Amino acid sequence: MPTAASSEAAPPRSSRINKRVLVAGAAIVLPLIAVLVANLGRDPHMVRSPLVGRPAPPFSLQPVGGGAPVRLESFRGKPLVINFWATWCVPCFEEHPALTAAARGLPDVQFLGVVYEDEEARTQAFLKERSSAYPSVMDPDGRTAIAYGVFGVPETFFIDAEGRIVEKFVGPLQRSTIAELVARARGGRP
Amino acid sequence: MIATLGRTLILLALLAASAGALVGFATGARPGAVAGWRWTRRLAYAFAALMVLANLTMEYALLTHDFSVSYVAHVGSRSVPTWVSIVSLWSSLEGSILFWGLVMGIYVAVATFRHRDDHPEYMPYAVGVWLACGAFFSFLLAGPAQPFAAVANPPVDGPGPNPLLQNHYLMVIHPPFLYSGYVGMTIPFGLACAALLVGRLGHDFIRPLRNFLLLSWIFLTVAIVLGGWWAYEVLGWGGYWAWDPVENASFLPWLTATAALHSALLVERKGVLKGWTTTLVIATYLLTILGTFMTRSGVFNSVHSFTQSAIGPTILVFLAAALIFSVVLLTLRVDTLSAEGRLETGASRDIAFLVQNLLFVLFTFTVLLGTVFPLVVEAVRGVQMSVGRPYFDRMSVPIGVALLFLMGVGPALPWGRAGREQLRSALLPPVVSAALLTILGVVLGVRNAWTLLALAFGGFTAHVTVGELLLPVRQRMRAHGEGALEAFRQAQGRGRRRFGAYIVHAGAVVVIAAVAVSSTMGSSKEVQLARGETATIGGYTLTFVNAERIREPHRESVRARMEIRKNGHEAGWLYPRMNQYENQREPIGSPAVRTGLAEDLYVSIHNIDVEAGSVGLLILINPMVCWIWIATAVMALGGLVTLIPSARGAAAAARVEASTAPLSIEGSS
Repeated sequence: MPTAASSEAAPPRSSRINKRVLVAGAAIVLPLIAVLVANLGRDPHMVRSPLVGRPAPPFSLQPVGGGAPVRLESFRGKPLVINFWATWCVPCFEEHPALTAAARGLPDVQFLGVVYEDEEARTQAFLKERSSAYPSVMDPDGRTAIAYGVFGVPETFFIDAEGRIVEKFVGPLQRSTIAELVARARGGRP
Repeated sequence: MIATLGRTLILLALLAASAGALVGFATGARPGAVAGWRWTRRLAYAFAALMVLANLTMEYALLTHDFSVSYVAHVGSRSVPTWVSIVSLWSSLEGSILFWGLVMGIYVAVATFRHRDDHPEYMPYAVGVWLACGAFFSFLLAGPAQPFAAVANPPVDGPGPNPLLQNHYLMVIHPPFLYSGYVGMTIPFGLACAALLVGRLGHDFIRPLRNFLLLSWIFLTVAIVLGGWWAYEVLGWGGYWAWDPVENASFLPWLTATAALHSALLVERKGVLKGWTTTLVIATYLLTILGTFMTRSGVFNSVHSFTQSAIGPTILVFLAAALIFSVVLLTLRVDTLSAEGRLETGASRDIAFLVQNLLFVLFTFTVLLGTVFPLVVEAVRGVQMSVGRPYFDRMSVPIGVALLFLMGVGPALPWGRAGREQLRSALLPPVVSAALLTILGVVLGVRNAWTLLALAFGGFTAHVTVGELLLPVRQRMRAHGEGALEAFRQAQGRGRRRFGAYIVHAGAVVVIAAVAVSSTMGSSKEVQLARGETATIGGYTLTFVNAERIREPHRESVRARMEIRKNGHEAGWLYPRMNQYENQREPIGSPAVRTGLAEDLYVSIHNIDVEAGSVGLLILINPMVCWIWIATAVMALGGLVTLIPSARGAAAAARVEASTAPLSIEGSS
């Protein structure tokens, strides 16, 4: 690392500190670092969706493998985590174990997968192979994804018991993040 | 298997670079340590070889669709053509950092080999700095980025690279140019640090510094314009530059590098501005790292980022370390670079150089401020905002016009103080060309004051530049009685750097004039057409004949067949299209451009319905855009001419001849 060199810089020859360079350099460099650090602090995956704070768009979708349509209203009364995913998306199967474990460990929270731009047969094979602890539904023509403003998968929405979107997360989730965001969907209660 | 091999190569590269950096610094601190210098070189070559091997390994994985390598699982796909698999190496974050390592390895190996026998005091330090930077990027590849991470349950097929990469060949060649420009700045940075550490920046050492700076500058210049060209040909909004943070990221180091190339000339000729020049070179490198951070951290356009969050912070730590190291180094050592001469005051070329340098630095701060300002607001007030084009346009137009003016006045002025008579004979004739071009502009309908000013200064500068290009030729014809061609050959062979520099200037004049005209003189129209309907704009008639579907192996397209007539004459067909790639949701538009020397006809699709037979189009007439691409090629060519060693500098004998010859043309200016 270049910092290692500063000790080497100890000069044998005439050397004095140039104060003007120091002041000018510090005046430019320190605020720049401060601004970049301050912005790095916020997670770019925590996208400020205009939907946050609003009622989640309703849907009625066919479960993978068939069955009665799943409707948003049927989940009222408990927190809901909607995960948009696909079998062709690598980050999606990276986060799959975390989501499955979270669903098993949080029985009072409903998890739902919405399959994005994928075929039902492939999805079924994927779920059979890797198992799942919550239902997934097909989203023909991506209508629900459009309603939720999904850019790409994976994206996950955290919805409270009243059906309002509390948080949107872009990218693969980890256990700790899920727990934290579920807590917010519960209204701060852990 | 491949993943393990790749990871091993990266770890070895990290080892070689770290060890080489340490040995390099230790050797630099004890001048004359022959064995130390030999080992520094060996480790530099080892680093380069390992980076080349790691990249070949990744290419192998991409071509064999080995989805157990995480990067291949992210960007690979069996459905894309082979060439797409090859260029996927730089299509996404982790791979592009690996590719960065490749370019860096090549630069370090070439620079080390080229100067293995010269500058024994400086070179160990320089190689030490390069390898320290190399160690950082190896660390990034070994830890946070991990293109060679193993995928436990490899998928059967992958999503394929970003469709934008497949959509246009320019997106394929743009990144290699950009990286060659960006990464190349590491070499002058290392040399400048070495000069500070040694405490001397001599006449001889500024040359390698300047040459590597120039080489990277050529790549960066071409890359910036290729990026603009790509935006123009692909994005469909009709422009080539939007002051987007990613664009600014490449423009910022270009500005400081251009300033440094000019001030390096004063170091070489007069022995002045040494500390200033090293500062500019160091700033250039730091700005490339800032640019890397901006485009890769997700801080600047959060919506598009799927970045592994560790990469951004890691680059930021390196950026902060490099910034602090540079400020400390400059603070402690800049006073050791004592000037050997002095700058002339008054109306002289010296002062023109100085003002030019200050303007470039002002330009850099202006763009930097506009780029970072949204982050400041976000951090302080928590509001998301963006600094729009109006700010950048308003600030950059006067600076650009002033630089154009200086590009003409500077070379017209003599080195040292100019007398009144000298000034008059130097500055008056070009005014004629300035007036002519301005009048031509007015006749052709230019009314914008800034555009007219740009044309006036452009005429002035073009006159001076052509005059300077031809001056040695005319002198030779007169003094030696040579024919024009022979005189030209001789003159450019002897003063090649000077010759190349004025070619660059000639290209730059045309670029600035073309930017001024194209951004103020265009016209546009939005239309909705049913089959058989026509639209007219500026002498063109466009008829929508029909909409067609086209199937290719990796994409499906819908295109509009447009018949073009210009002033009533047939002028061919245009096919703006929408491409739908496999595995990608959104279709990507591809505008159709009828390129002409005077103006482009630009047609892009807003919406299209094949069944109903209707199309919504954006039609633009963009004057002179083509000259931006042509003149950039001229600039790059001029830069290359400057890099070829001058016949005069090649042998000492030539120097003797030059001093005895009646015409002594400066080899540089």
